[in-house]
Amino acid sequence: MLEHLLFGKLTLDDIPLNTPIIMGAGIFMALVVLATVAAITVSKKWGYIWHEWVTSIDHKKIGIMYMLLAGVMLLRGFSDAILMRSQQAIAAGGNMGYLPPEHYDQIFTAHGVIMIFFVAMPFMFGLMNMVLPLQIGARDVAYPYLNNFSFWMTFVGAMLCNVSLVIGKFAATGWLAYPPLSELQYSPGVGVDYYVWGLQIAGIGTLVGGINFIATIMKMRCPGMTLMKMPIFVWSVLCAMILVALAFPILTVTLALLELDRMMGMHFFTQFAGGNMMMYINLIWAWGHPEVYILVLPAFGIFSEVVATFSRKKLFGYKTMVYAIAVITVLSFIVWLHHFFTMGAGGDVNAFFGIATMIIAVPTGVKVFNWLFTMYRGNITLTTPMLWVTAFFTTFAIGGMTGVLMAIPPVDFQTHNSLFLIAHFHNVIIGGVLFGYFAGFIYWFPKAFGFKLDEKIGKWSFGFWVTGFYFAFMPLYVLGLAGVMRRTNHYADVALQPYFLVAAFGTALIFVGIMLQLLQLYVSFRNREQLRDKTGDPWNGRTLEWSIASPAPVYNFAFTPEVSTIDPFWEEKQNQQHTAKHPETTQYNDVHMPKNTSAGVIIAIFSGIFGFAMVWNMWPAAVIGFVGAIATVIVRTFNTDVDYYIKADEVKETEMAHYKEALS
Amino acid sequence: MINRICKVTAQIALVGAVLFLVGCHSDMTGVLNPKGIITYQERQLLFDAVALMLIVVIPVIIMSFAFIYRYHQSHSGRDYRPNWSHNVLLESIWWGVPCVIIVILGIMTWHMSHKLDPYRPIDGVEGEPLKVQVVALPWKWLFVYPEQDIATVNYLELPKGRQVAFELTSDNVPMSAFFVPQIGSQIYTMARMKTQLHLVATETGTFKGLNSQYNGDGFSDMHFPVKVVEPAELDEWFQKVKSESKPLSEDKYNLLRQPSIAAPAQYFSGVTPNLFKRVIKSYKLSEHPSKLAATA
Amino acid sequence: MSAGALAHDHHHDSESTDVFGFWLYILTDCILFASLFATYLVLNHPDAYGPAFKEHVNLAYVLWETFLLLGSNFTFGLSVLSLNKGKLAMTQFWLVLTFILGAGFVGMEINEFVALAHEGFHWQASGAASAFFTLVGTHGLHVSFGLLWILITIFQLPIFKVSQIMKRRIIYLGLFWNFLDIVWIFLFSIVYLMGAV
Repeated sequence: MLEHLLFGKLTLDDIPLNTPIIMGAGIFMALVVLATVAAITVSKKWGYIWHEWVTSIDHKKIGIMYMLLAGVMLLRGFSDAILMRSQQAIAAGGNMGYLPPEHYDQIFTAHGVIMIFFVAMPFMFGLMNMVLPLQIGARDVAYPYLNNFSFWMTFVGAMLCNVSLVIGKFAATGWLAYPPLSELQYSPGVGVDYYVWGLQIAGIGTLVGGINFIATIMKMRCPGMTLMKMPIFVWSVLCAMILVALAFPILTVTLALLELDRMMGMHFFTQFAGGNMMMYINLIWAWGHPEVYILVLPAFGIFSEVVATFSRKKLFGYKTMVYAIAVITVLSFIVWLHHFFTMGAGGDVNAFFGIATMIIAVPTGVKVFNWLFTMYRGNITLTTPMLWVTAFFTTFAIGGMTGVLMAIPPVDFQTHNSLFLIAHFHNVIIGGVLFGYFAGFIYWFPKAFGFKLDEKIGKWSFGFWVTGFYFAFMPLYVLGLAGVMRRTNHYADVALQPYFLVAAFGTALIFVGIMLQLLQLYVSFRNREQLRDKTGDPWNGRTLEWSIASPAPVYNFAFTPEVSTIDPFWEEKQNQQHTAKHPETTQYNDVHMPKNTSAGVIIAIFSGIFGFAMVWNMWPAAVIGFVGAIATVIVRTFNTDVDYYIKADEVKETEMAHYKEALS
Repeated sequence: MINRICKVTAQIALVGAVLFLVGCHSDMTGVLNPKGIITYQERQLLFDAVALMLIVVIPVIIMSFAFIYRYHQSHSGRDYRPNWSHNVLLESIWWGVPCVIIVILGIMTWHMSHKLDPYRPIDGVEGEPLKVQVVALPWKWLFVYPEQDIATVNYLELPKGRQVAFELTSDNVPMSAFFVPQIGSQIYTMARMKTQLHLVATETGTFKGLNSQYNGDGFSDMHFPVKVVEPAELDEWFQKVKSESKPLSEDKYNLLRQPSIAAPAQYFSGVTPNLFKRVIKSYKLSEHPSKLAATA
Repeated sequence: MSAGALAHDHHHDSESTDVFGFWLYILTDCILFASLFATYLVLNHPDAYGPAFKEHVNLAYVLWETFLLLGSNFTFGLSVLSLNKGKLAMTQFWLVLTFILGAGFVGMEINEFVALAHEGFHWQASGAASAFFTLVGTHGLHVSFGLLWILITIFQLPIFKVSQIMKRRIIYLGLFWNFLDIVWIFLFSIVYLMGAV
């Protein structure tokens, strides 16, 4: 009885001791965690990590933590991809492969959830955090403490989804958990509960992050930076964050209703008692389609920055770019039905949503042309960020074309839910989003860490990635047109196997690409002295972030800059005003800064306890988690000691050091 | 560096082209090898749309490589224009051309969405349609021919050249989708709801039918052969099923409702009255039904 | 770009930024309620399955609930007036009254829910009933959080006195409390009034 009260549904049987693959993965993860903990303890770094990172409200450090999370989760999500690709490469004819459906189904669900929520989203927030306040000449984001809180909520949500690997099971429903499959009737285990609570916790983090960045952009721009003088990345983030604020509450509601069905026996999406499962599908896509644009808009912003910098030319058609982003933002809310044309809604409805979807191709196409003509009559250097952009053009053009194809309802009647769809969205999410984030990562890496990444290994990694991508996904288009469905565990027709083998080969190439990226990080770290970015402007940049030292000082700008153009730093260099001010003779002021806080991480941990307890119905623990989180918020409201000043002398010292290094 | 990129790109393009050509080979099972009126039109639409879009896509791809090559640091110089960032004519072209293409595509979409609406009987096909009722069951398909009063599990036989009107629902299984790629469109099957689909097969032969919506562990095995025969032959088959098998009683149906994976084909010489309607009705209750509704 | 003047160092006007952020939060909450209203309207169509809400609704009772909530808004307004006049005790007094009225509202709502469930209009009875309890319950939950917030404010007033920080927090609280009132007006008219006729 007591055991049931404390542990709820959880028993020892829920730990999959008898499945070697899962236990192996679990033990491996545990070892990595233990090794990290041991390393930190031995080197006595706990204090450093706690004070300098965990409780840090510095947007640059939070950005790095986000990117670290995204990187680790990319490895997890990619290992799922390897498992799926190898299963499908083997399981032809009578062969059932090595993954029975109950495992395989969890793997593709986890792959989708992790890649979207815990790779793409944190990667995006990481880049935004890293760069955006610097680009608008701000000290920090609007709400630094909430920024820290957002990160830890995302982190805890990711951990909750990953814990399901060793304690219990993950959802086996596909990444959007369509009911009635995700209802208690068909998914009685804890998998869907892990899914819901993990995403709810991470979703709160994202929503707060969205609000934070809207406020940052609207309220914290430096003097002179009107809306139409913001760097294009800032515009793209603004629109993406507006989408976050408008779309994520819908996700919160949808998942909450699903959980109410499961926990309280309600009937929102059940097949009986007046439930309506199509409502779930409508609601989840009312969030899900804008979500796609939440991911891709910042990538568009990055492409714009990178193309302009490495063509040494102004971005072509800045205004058109802004309008195009705005149009995409608005349209992204009226196309959600194209995800289920096969529901049988009738010609009028299908045609309306199909055409609305196609219209998005126009502003998107315009952006592509603007990038192309930014290169036209430019002076291009093919650094690694720029290479990713060049790969993006072809990849995204193909992905966009197949996207418009699927927007034609009768074509969708053939390609919906097939591997054609899988190829399409990997084509745009890898080719559009991920390539963009990689470009941004390499581009802004020096600003975050003070040294450039090794170009040579970067180019090799790029080569493997892009080639691997084409090998992995082009066969899927063919398979899709041959009527092979997504989430297929095995298939009878051996004639299909060669395509799956090619796809698996492509995955192997991507694996090499990822390994090279890790090697690149390691080698660059080892050679950081040679790769040191002394000037703070390694690429001959255009915007404000390049006007300060690398890595950026904790206070960002000693003086709030004033701008009058879109590319202020570039123009300044053109006019040779740059060295006008010598820090020796400059009068600095104290800089007002927010203090670090542990409230964010504590609230997130309590939320994690609450989520885990809700999954397993451990009521006392759930109460502890809930009350703990609320109590922490309340305690925090009594704390008024939230800021401090960096002394003018210290600022001067920092600026002097940078000045001297830049000259050397 | 540029040369290497060009080389890699060329290789990728080659591999892609080869794969695609192989894909169009007549053994393929999907939309590229149509055996029904609907699939023919869908393939045509697919090709037309691709052709239209290539008007933009090909120049984009060519320009991306050409510009990178032409304006690379090592070639650029004299015509470098760092501040050239606006041109009304050019911008009008690339707002205009995609707009025109989308307008054409939009008109095609509007027309074809109505013409190929699965609920709508197919134009220009003579004669009364054959009625088939489809019930998605836990990882198997039940097909009822109400006019002939026979039923099958995981096996579908259709006449060549005659319209087939499907009514679909599902029972005791999450949302599924009925799909015979070479003959026509896919459509969801949902409990408590009825969807419709119209198909006409144009060639005899055996084709692959499947479930295209993931619905749990047995999903990958939820496929069935679709045999298209001459109408006269179909009548013979009806007679054969009628004379050689046992009827689908209520008890038997409730057994079928139990989950099973890769169930063999089964044939029934008669069907418990109003089965399809009673399946739908059984979901208008406060609990998940454990058996078929008593009446329709 | 030139280094800004000294005055610009504090260009980040934290007051207006914070209020702006709170408005954004209210916006997201609006969307949350809009989604719940949408589900309610989808599931609660005329020939929906399950017990009819019409036979269980007690408009007079709900009207009293409404008066309590509207009244609490009035008293909250009075507390803000007192705060602006620098009268700490009066502020606290009006806040206590706001709390009592709000708590009365939540109490009445819980009582109503229990009664409905007993009469057979249980949240497990049908999709429409689930939507009703979730929509109205979410509002109730918001009000409950508001009550906790009021309670904290009452305790914090003597600590922070009539300060900038207190004034700002009361502005947020006021926005929140008013917002819940507006949501309730929609609830009352769409769920209760339209449900009763």
